[in-house]
Amino acid sequence: MSKMRVLHHLVRADFLERVRRYSFLVTLAFAVYLGYCCVTGKVVVRLDEYRGVYNSAWIGCAMTLVATTFLSLIGFYIVKNTIQRDEETRVGRILATTPMTKSFYTVAKMISNFAVLAAMVAVMAGAAVLMQFLKAEDLHVHFWALLSPFVIFALPAVAFTGALAVLFETLPVLRGGVGNVIYFFVWTALIAAPVGSLQGGHVSQATYFTDFTGIVSVMGQMQEDLHRVDPEYKNGAALTIGNTATSKTFLWQGLRGSSALYWSRVTCFLAAFAIALLAALFFHRFDPAREWAWKTSQKSGEKSFASPANGDRVVSLPPAQTPIRLTPLLRTKSANSMPSLVLAELKLMLKGHHWWWYAVAGGLFVASVASPLEATRGGVAVVALLWPALVWSQMGTREARFNTGSLIFSSGHSLARQLPALWIAGVLVAMITNGGLAIRMVIARDWEGLLAWLACSLFVPSLALALGVWSGTSKVFEALYTAWWYLGPANHTPGADFLGTTPYSVRPGLYLMLAGMLLLASFLGRRAQLAYA
Amino acid sequence: MKLSIEHVSKQYRGDVWALRDFSIELRPGVLGLLGPNGAGKTTLMSILATITRATQGRVLWNDTDLAQNPDAIRNVLGYLPQDFGVYPNLNAVEFLEYLAAVKGLDAAASRRRIDELLNLVNLNDVRKRPLGGYSGGMKQRIGIAQALLNDPQLLIVDEPTAGLDPEERVRFRNLLSELSGERVIILSTHIVSDVEATATDIALISGGTLVAQATPEGLLQRVEGKVWEGVFPSAELQAIKQQYLVSGTARRADGVHVRMLAPSAPSGTQPLAPTLEDAYLYCLNAHRVGAAA
Repeated sequence: MSKMRVLHHLVRADFLERVRRYSFLVTLAFAVYLGYCCVTGKVVVRLDEYRGVYNSAWIGCAMTLVATTFLSLIGFYIVKNTIQRDEETRVGRILATTPMTKSFYTVAKMISNFAVLAAMVAVMAGAAVLMQFLKAEDLHVHFWALLSPFVIFALPAVAFTGALAVLFETLPVLRGGVGNVIYFFVWTALIAAPVGSLQGGHVSQATYFTDFTGIVSVMGQMQEDLHRVDPEYKNGAALTIGNTATSKTFLWQGLRGSSALYWSRVTCFLAAFAIALLAALFFHRFDPAREWAWKTSQKSGEKSFASPANGDRVVSLPPAQTPIRLTPLLRTKSANSMPSLVLAELKLMLKGHHWWWYAVAGGLFVASVASPLEATRGGVAVVALLWPALVWSQMGTREARFNTGSLIFSSGHSLARQLPALWIAGVLVAMITNGGLAIRMVIARDWEGLLAWLACSLFVPSLALALGVWSGTSKVFEALYTAWWYLGPANHTPGADFLGTTPYSVRPGLYLMLAGMLLLASFLGRRAQLAYA
Repeated sequence: MKLSIEHVSKQYRGDVWALRDFSIELRPGVLGLLGPNGAGKTTLMSILATITRATQGRVLWNDTDLAQNPDAIRNVLGYLPQDFGVYPNLNAVEFLEYLAAVKGLDAAASRRRIDELLNLVNLNDVRKRPLGGYSGGMKQRIGIAQALLNDPQLLIVDEPTAGLDPEERVRFRNLLSELSGERVIILSTHIVSDVEATATDIALISGGTLVAQATPEGLLQRVEGKVWEGVFPSAELQAIKQQYLVSGTARRADGVHVRMLAPSAPSGTQPLAPTLEDAYLYCLNAHRVGAAA
């Protein structure tokens, strides 16, 4: 069988396995929703008070900007599970016994990721055609102008995103939740990188080659063209959600292609392949010894004895000669054991972290108490709020992740006891890790700030629990929370700032209400998972 | 103490019926649930363990309908699923303490119980090791320990000896026998020797229906005088397999020793004492023939 044929079957099987899952329908629904938001004007590209006349050129580029912006971020989280799935299904161990090379595998996974994201791009492209008819400002459809931006910008961008997802999956440190959080900052840096290469506000060749999503390249051309129409234009450009009102329009003739532009997009594709090949260097080829060896090397004294590969022999236990004796158990009222269940959930949440995780958490607590109130509120407490993100992100997902659902859900009063206990444990983590801020608030008698702290302590675990229960994966919370944290507490954006880092961004009432709604959603979600509530 | 399963059916998507009109009543003792792969054993276990709902019919624990009050059964249930996971960062004690708390057990009593159970399943020496480093057999033994945590009145074990070495398998069989006095135990397996060693009652299930329910002795009686052994040349083996129900073959110097089931002695054969495996194959074959007719 030729290599291309092997590659084709690897990609095809992986793609089919994904698209036949409900989660793919959800991601397609997300793409359709994005398209709908563009068509109905909920998401627009605006240049100060201007937008382009809805002709093929403007719609094609605007929709492409929306697609690349969202898919390069959210798409990463959607596809970053392809190697993990091969591990979980044990298919990987079968593949590992074939002559397939590591680089072949990682490239195949990159292409498969690309195929999934390209399907979403195709949905957005379909929405673009529909949009031109619905907006009806210019009914002459120029297919090249309308669809070429998707090919030129969106496809290389999602290929690059898919490759990064493979790389993150192969790197031990970035494989889990840490990688999910870090990617948000990587993405922010990648989006911001080409801005520095603009020369006097104009797009240069360097801009093309540093702009993997194409956002700055496309918007830069739009801005240049608008300058010619309106010299007073102040160079503002944004992809806006919600606040979409524009008072002026201008006729945009479309993208000006150049060899530098096209080569930059080809380079983006090549970079994706290079990243996939780089990933092969770190890929463990489903060797459980390497997997576990890495984990145990982080923890002194903990050695695996299940895997002979690490040097330990398999433990052979002596036969027990003692007769079977079990003390009969006195049955107790289950309500009495709630505190011990909360404690058990708390222990389960906090177990397995490295010593330095606790050291940093303790350091942040002490720094919160020792720093001036404003420094704590706007700085230390904000960091302390991100630190336990990976603890919260496990809430509601553990049963699916570790396949313990049948053990937990066959226990008595699982909905009435285990879920509340889990939520209380999450709230306790929030209160403890950010307790320094509460102490500072009490000392300063800032009762509104204290209420905001309380709302935050209830809201964040509720968000984690609801997203965990409904999605069954920690990734949704890790991605959404990091972005929300960045927009809200880190940038003090009113409305999004759930901690209330400044007096003008405090919204305790809103977040108390949201916490209640999310808790209810968690309850309903878990109830739906149980055969008998 | 009584578990009644009344006309239970389970339909999955795509019009696939895993169980059809399954009825049985169980009293204290060990019921060995035997059947081929895909017979519906795990579906039945899942319904009894309140993991999934029956499409039709009902399950009663001491006359309490499981659909009305699932906690009536959950509070007295010990369940070892066929496929389950553990939390890799917890050690054996912590994992069992966690499940004891989830099951609502008193902390002090459960601590003593956990010590006894870890001794029982031979994991005392490795009680402080993270479960992530356990072998498959050791995880299975942790599963057995958690199923016994709450001193269950109803113990459901689905393929419990999968992954256990022969020594541990014998220990587990002995354990089941000793526990069976005042409990209803359901042992689902396709390993006939496990059932042979422990079951006080046997239910054969195939294609989602109950094929037979009897004591081991009753089941053996069904094939009394129907098991034969003969020595044949290798060339005749294929023809014999087409004519009779063959339950075993062994190649020896004098030819192939064939163990077969037939109502009367085939030529050149001697009668043999039947085993449960013979009875199992005989009943399933009779059921298939009957269904085809």
